[in-house]
Amino acid sequence: MSGQRVDAKVVMLGKEAVGKTSLVERYVHHRFLQGPYQNTIGAAFVAKAINVGGRNVTLGIWDTAGSERYEAMSRIYYRGARAAIVCYDLTDCSSFERVKFWVNELQNFEEHCRIYICGTKSDLVENDKSLRQVDFHDVQDYADEIKAHLCETSSKTGISVDELFQKVAEDYVNYSDFQVQTEPKGVDLNSRKDLTSYTCCHH
Amino acid sequence: MASDVDKRSHWETAAASSLSVDPGNDRSDSPAPALIQGMEPGASQDEAMFVHAQSYEDLTGEVEGMEPASPGLEGQIENMEEITQDFSKLSTQLSVSSSHSDEQSREAPCECGDSPPPVIQEADGELHPQDDWYQHQKHVFVLSEAGKPVYSRYRSEEALSSTAGVMMALVSFLETEKNAIRSIHADGYTVVFVRRSPLVLVSVSHTRQSEQEIAQELLYIYYQIVSLVTLTQLHHLFQQRPSYDLRRLLSGSERITDNLLDSMDTDPSFLLASVRCLPLTSGLRDAATYCLQQAKAKSLVFSILMSAQQLVTLVRKKDQYLHPIDIHLLFNLVTSSSSFREGEAWTPVCLPKFNPSGFFHTYISYLSHKPELLLLMVSTDREDFFTVSNCKKKIMERLEKRGTWTPLKEALSNSLYDVAQVGIPELRHFLYKSKSSRLFTSPAMTAPYNTEVEQKRLVSLYQYLHGRAHCSSHPLTTIYHIGPQENILAWVTEAFELYVCFSPLGTKSSAVNGVSRLLRWIRKEEEKLFILSSSTY
Ligand SMILES: Nc1nc2c(ncn2[C@@H]2O[C@H](COP(=O)(O)OP(=O)(O)O)[C@@H](O)[C@H]2O)c(=O)[nH]1
Ligand SMILES: [Mg+2]
Repeated sequence: MSGQRVDAKVVMLGKEAVGKTSLVERYVHHRFLQGPYQNTIGAAFVAKAINVGGRNVTLGIWDTAGSERYEAMSRIYYRGARAAIVCYDLTDCSSFERVKFWVNELQNFEEHCRIYICGTKSDLVENDKSLRQVDFHDVQDYADEIKAHLCETSSKTGISVDELFQKVAEDYVNYSDFQVQTEPKGVDLNSRKDLTSYTCCHH
Repeated sequence: MASDVDKRSHWETAAASSLSVDPGNDRSDSPAPALIQGMEPGASQDEAMFVHAQSYEDLTGEVEGMEPASPGLEGQIENMEEITQDFSKLSTQLSVSSSHSDEQSREAPCECGDSPPPVIQEADGELHPQDDWYQHQKHVFVLSEAGKPVYSRYRSEEALSSTAGVMMALVSFLETEKNAIRSIHADGYTVVFVRRSPLVLVSVSHTRQSEQEIAQELLYIYYQIVSLVTLTQLHHLFQQRPSYDLRRLLSGSERITDNLLDSMDTDPSFLLASVRCLPLTSGLRDAATYCLQQAKAKSLVFSILMSAQQLVTLVRKKDQYLHPIDIHLLFNLVTSSSSFREGEAWTPVCLPKFNPSGFFHTYISYLSHKPELLLLMVSTDREDFFTVSNCKKKIMERLEKRGTWTPLKEALSNSLYDVAQVGIPELRHFLYKSKSSRLFTSPAMTAPYNTEVEQKRLVSLYQYLHGRAHCSSHPLTTIYHIGPQENILAWVTEAFELYVCFSPLGTKSSAVNGVSRLLRWIRKEEEKLFILSSSTY
């Protein structure tokens, strides 16, 4: 258990059951759990260190539930996030409609948060093209418009998962270094910063 | 129903004299319990950590300034006939035919001492579309006052929507008394309604539970829903739109409610409205408590260690008390989802008995999976995750540094004790609840109760006896229940509740003897079996 700081807050957003938890599970624990769907309750936090060009960056990942019940409270999970991975299920077009909702929220409240749009369960459309309900090019156009990064992943096979988080970490290093340095440093006992020192007890 | 009390071969008042003990005994010298609350084995030495909870207090007490409930239906409604008619309509929709349901030959409550749960005989090769109905002993539905479905235990949505109208017609009789409990018996089913505005909860069952027991379970479901959305939000939503569809907001939580209903069939905690305490040597427990106490944060209200649905220790903010119902809901939440197994969860939870109007944020993290040890910390500040997470880190560090961790894990891996340790040959199982501490202790369910079917059967016997002991019209302090598979002695005093299960070969006098030996054993072991002092940060 070594003391480690969380450098960048990353939040997983998207409709229930699109595969946010599976994505985190694949990235952090390198596995895919089959079995009955277990919806996330509230939100789960996990810290993960990642290497970017020889530098260690610790991502603090918030996996949210995506259910309407917690919508009013979702701000606490994405406030101050450096990156949001907004997921939709490639086989469910309604889940893409929810992406737009989250993107709006982020644009309104978190202007410094970079947005990553992620189409999940690519293994399913790989096996059977007719299952695809969301066209890649349509989403690409949308992503360009909002200046978001786009990828399609499968937590089942692991395809493109590490690359996604690697990109998140790289972008954090490349784009936010100067920002952090210009932030005034001082001790404010009353402020509750999300990015205070945190011990990472995960591998 | 009342008639079965007389028909039974029970000794009731007679037993009291042989069981009573000298109330003047001093706690420390006396192996036998005094009948004064606060002196019984397991009573806390200072103040208790839980809010005092009486059986059925929610059913009889006033709730949020509303009209007091009046349990029972007897003679209070003139339209009884109409209700019965409506119910027949309902039950024909529930059953394929009423004759079929007669064939189930459910034993009448007065002779069902030990009948196994009614087994559903399938007519040869015939499959009825609604056979699911028979396979389940207890259906539970939640509706809004406008009749919109909110929850259905077995997802029998179709049946629910086709019966919702009838149910609502029935519920309209409750209009006058907002918190009334109503029940109807027909066709071998008991239908119990509990109304807690803006929700109506209905159970359709063929178990031997009393109406009060069933109503209490329905209230748990009500509190479960409140804990997901808060009472304030619930009222607000339905005030704005009486036809609001709550299912959208509850989506994904069905598993939590299902799990609660399933647990109530197998876990006597709910029945006793008390918290099961994990047996632990006091030195180890104190050390664990100390670690929780030291890791404090301004926003923390409760820090709890639990293992396998049992309380290891609890530290609370000064002057703040948790209610057993709230802790049951917390335990149920964490065990109903595997989503808490990894990392750290930070989840809004309303504790309906502590404060129904808002959410607390609960930090949930497993300290160990095998043996299971879970840390729950309830915070008032939703922004405080990292502070609270830091408390977990401190707790772990301290447990390890003080050498508590390894022995604690060892103790947790065999936390269930065997009833044989008590050394009473005919004794098979028992539940002992200390009323002043709201904690109870119970040995492992060993053979012959080591199968799920037998466990459920034993718990349903306990439920049945608990229901009889607390029956509002005929409360009993002692019941000796003789059955073909076991005899059970129930003894309810001001200070404790005891349900003791003996082999069917034993006699009444050996049971009485066994009970006083058991109480002496509990007294001797109380430091281990109970949490005798309540700790604050
Ligand atoms: N085939 C396939 N199924 C997936 C994939 N990711 C998630 N799932 C399934 O989709 C369901 C929802 O996944 P989960 O990660 O819990 O969704 P969340 O609610 O967004 O966290 C689960 O049954 C997963 O097994 C994937 O990449 N491929
Ligand atoms: Mg999830």
